Formats: sequence, C-alpha cells, structure tokens
Amino acid sequence: MDNLLIFIGLLMCGWFFGRRAEKKHYKSIIEREHKFNAIPAIASRFPPADTVYDQKLVAGSTVVSSDYFKSITAAMINIFGGEVKPYEALIDRARRESILRMKLQAKNAGADMVFNIKMETSAISAGKIGAIEVLAYGTALIPPNTNTVIEADNLNVAT
Amino acid sequence: MQYENRQPEEGINVSKGSPVKTFLQLLISTVLLLAVSVFVIYLSGSWLAKKIPFRYEQAIMEKIDFDFSGQASDDDIRRYLNDLSARIAVHLPNPDEVTYTVHYEPEDVFNAYATIGGNIVFYKGLINRLPNENALAMVMAHEMAHVSHRDPVAGLGGGVASMIALSAVFGSSGSQYASTFVDNAGGLTAVQFTRRMENNADDAAILAVSKLYGHTVGADSLFKHIDEEREESSTPDWLARFSSTHPLDSDRINNIKEKTLELELPTTGETTPLPDLW
Repeated sequence: MDNLLIFIGLLMCGWFFGRRAEKKHYKSIIEREHKFNAIPAIASRFPPADTVYDQKLVAGSTVVSSDYFKSITAAMINIFGGEVKPYEALIDRARRESILRMKLQAKNAGADMVFNIKMETSAISAGKIGAIEVLAYGTALIPPNTNTVIEADNLNVAT
Repeated sequence: MQYENRQPEEGINVSKGSPVKTFLQLLISTVLLLAVSVFVIYLSGSWLAKKIPFRYEQAIMEKIDFDFSGQASDDDIRRYLNDLSARIAVHLPNPDEVTYTVHYEPEDVFNAYATIGGNIVFYKGLINRLPNENALAMVMAHEMAHVSHRDPVAGLGGGVASMIALSAVFGSSGSQYASTFVDNAGGLTAVQFTRRMENNADDAAILAVSKLYGHTVGADSLFKHIDEEREESSTPDWLARFSSTHPLDSDRINNIKEKTLELELPTTGETTPLPDLW
C-alpha cells in the first residue's frame, strides 16, 4: 500500500512539475527564437560565395530529463507500441534549445549566420528516469573585420 | 542571397491530446493485460504443480523450518484429531501416496488450514466454537479434501509461477515474493484456493461425513454459526462474494444442502458430542 501511495505521489509530482517546466521552457524558447531570428541557422553545406567569411565551429548542447509521469506513460507505450507522444515535447524542446545556444555562441563570435548545421541526439540514463542530450553544431560565418571579443563565459567552454 | 529563419509554427512536432487521458487508457490496458497473463500463468503453474509426486511435496515441507510440534500437554488432542482424520480418510477419494497429519495450535485463532505435505492445522479458537464432532469432522474433511485434491501444492505452484512472471515485469520485487513463498513458512499459510477448489472440497467433505456418521446433521452448523454473526456486517452479499476467494457461508450452506439432496444423503440422526479435551 505504501509503495502504491509513493507511486501515485511520484506520478502526480511528475505530471504537475513536468507540465509546469514544459510550459515555462516553451515560453522562453519562443521569445528567444524571435530574438535570434537575425542569425539564420542554415543546413546547407555551401555558404554564400560573394563574401569571404571567417569561420568558427559553434555548438550548443542541452540535456533535458523526462519526468516520472512521462517515463511511466512511455514504458506502457513500449508494451503496446505506437507513437511515444510524451517524449515528443521533450525532444522538441531539447532540439530548439540547442539551436538557440548555438546561435548565442555564434552571436558572441560576431557571426552573421551559421551554416552546415547538424544535430546529434544521445540518451543518458539517470536511474529509471531517462534524459536526452541534443547537440547542435555548425560553422559560424563571421564577416571580415569584425573585432569581437569572445567571452569565454558565454561560450560555456573551459579556459 | 538573403537567408532567414522564419519562426516555425507551433505544435507541428508535438502531438495534441490529453496526456492524462492517454495515461489512463494505457493503465487500464496494461492492468487488463497483466491480469489475464497472471491468471493464465497461475492456472498453468497450478496444473504443473499437481504433477509433482506427493512424496516430493512432503520432502519440500521437511526442508522448510515450520514448527508444527505444539505443546506436549496437547498430545491427547492431537491423537484425537489424527484418529478422527484417519476415520474420515477411509471415506475420501485418496490418491496414492497421500497421507494426512493433523496439528493442533492452542491459540485463540478462528481458523484451520491445509498446507503442502498433507499437513492440516487446527486452532483452538476454531474448535472451541464448534458445537459437535460432526461440525469438526466436516471442517476436517474439507481440509483433507483439499489435500487429496492436491489444492495446496496447486495453489503454491500457481502463486510462485505468477510471482516469477510478475518479477519479469516489475523487477526484483516479484521474485522476492516468490522466494518468500517457498523459503518462508509464513507463505504457506497464505496459499490461496480458488472458489471452485473450495466447493469441490465441500462436496467431498459432506459425502465423507455422511458416510462416517450415517447422516449429514450438524455438518453445516459451523457455516450457519458464522453466517448468523456476519448478518450484522454491512457489506452487501454480492460484493462479499466477489471479493472473497471462499464462497459465502450462505452459499456454502446452500451448496451443502443441494449436494445432500442430489445424493439423497440422510438428513436425520443424532449428533456426536465433542470429547472433553479442551
């Protein structure tokens, strides 16, 4: 009986806090996407040929954890098959957040745009609750004669 | 060339729909699937366990640290109970090898149960409330019929099989229960019989009691006694019937009556008093 109560408690916590975190995160993502629209992230491997840009590798990585409610729902979907809808928002958030972080790095480098962007996803298992990491990376194209001081803090790199 | 990232439309990569509704649908499906699987596995385990020779059942019982010895002062009671069981055994359909050992526990517990290896345990609390030997013989014949039908080993086999199956789904907790069942004496008293097993045991018991005493008078007095006490209970009959593995006492009385009529068993005679051992 105790185990059942703990289970129900964890489910409710997962549902409540997971939903709250998701709403909050989406709000922030949409705001920042508007803000970073000035720096296009393009999947093409061929940058514009009219200008000779400085180039720099930029990357943004996000790790998002699932909550108990999503994990249990997904585990039950594993039995019957079908779309794992609870994880869709999780992956969507991680993907968009990673691109935003990559764009932030590009902006700090004084880039006009990022080309040849790619993404990688990996699963991180933290106990029973899974987490995913999405890494977005690309080549930032920096116009010549841009004297930008790249702040290490903003880039999340060790100095 | 001009490049731009347009703000994507929301909701394309995320499906709409209520997650709680999805969860509940999945939960109901999962519980149904589990219940059906466990039921099938339980029946298979029970069926297989009945194939175990009785001597192995006794050997398992010997390996379990279960203290049946009781107190030396109750030797007379034990002798009487075992003598009664020997008289009943003659009238039960006994498969080869099956033997009965009746134990007595001087505790005020209103219970008697049969477990593997032909062991039957009677509590003082039950015998004290029986009005005559006929009622005691009925309870004993009922428990002995469980043994002769191999119900305890079937219940144990089914229980262990379903616990192991559950452990495959829920991790180690299921196998812990399974090991509790087989290693721990406490699990043996928790062996559950199905309602069909109970009814079959009642049928065999009423026949044995009728053959032993020449009539069925007093055989149902235990159930009548419990039924009268339970009438004050607020649980509706249909709910009690659904939630209990034992048939309702009123159903058992009817079942005994039906069996008595069906087999045209004598319904008049003198009851035998219990000896003054308690």
